[in-house]
Amino acid sequence: MKGLSSLERIILESIGKQVLVFEEIQNQSGLHENVCFNVIQALVIRGLVSTDGARYRISEKLSPLMIEEINGKEAKEAEYLELMEALVAQKDNRIFRLQKVAMDSRDEKIFIAMLSNLESFLADAHKKAQSTVPVKERKVIFWGLGEVHQLMNQIVAGN
Amino acid sequence: MTLQEKTLHRYRQLYPNQPLREISARTGIQITRVFRLFNGKIMKVGELEAFESAINAKIAENPSFAKLSSVVEEASTILTNEELAKIAEYVARKVSAKTFGRFYIKPNFESAIIA
Repeated sequence: MKGLSSLERIILESIGKQVLVFEEIQNQSGLHENVCFNVIQALVIRGLVSTDGARYRISEKLSPLMIEEINGKEAKEAEYLELMEALVAQKDNRIFRLQKVAMDSRDEKIFIAMLSNLESFLADAHKKAQSTVPVKERKVIFWGLGEVHQLMNQIVAGN
Repeated sequence: MTLQEKTLHRYRQLYPNQPLREISARTGIQITRVFRLFNGKIMKVGELEAFESAINAKIAENPSFAKLSSVVEEASTILTNEELAKIAEYVARKVSAKTFGRFYIKPNFESAIIA
């Protein structure tokens, strides 16, 4: 498997720049004890997380090759799909809307401006609450815009 | 990994906590012989077939697997290498997530000793 799975990424985000014990990581990530343990062990084996037996931190000396593997385009795309699939399949409190909208060029510009505003709002909200809201309670939000014919051609071409 | 090791490993993945007594009953191989096989004794063809048959029986419990196999076969002839890589990556991620959710099972044959 290329890159990281969403579970591995959550553990890394939970640790961040801190040095945490297992319970703290579990509390931050919200993962079941067993899953959390297995993911941490996998990260330790891959050399992404180091431990003194009780506390965990992200390894300081990650090679550029390893960083590319984690944050490379293909790996990120696979990870996005993993999260989107989970969101689409979510049963409780589901908020998901996908629409094919007829939009003239003026409205498209307005929409893009609104997305830009939304992005600023989210950046501010994150900055304000990131120290108090644990990783497990953060919201996964995504948006995108594409033209039907382009997307259909892409599907046929298999890109 | 030899064919025998692969078969026993796959058997253990499908029946993770089965004691030797049950393995013996399922495969029709004597319990002492099962113990020896899990400890590296070379298998006879009939014994390999017995394990394969038990593996196939377990797989057959999940009818979607047959569909997956047939789709993968078709995909291998139609899709490009890049598309196949994406599918492989997708499946690998599914497997990885599922593996993280399972209790840790040693991927060797030591557990077979605990009958």
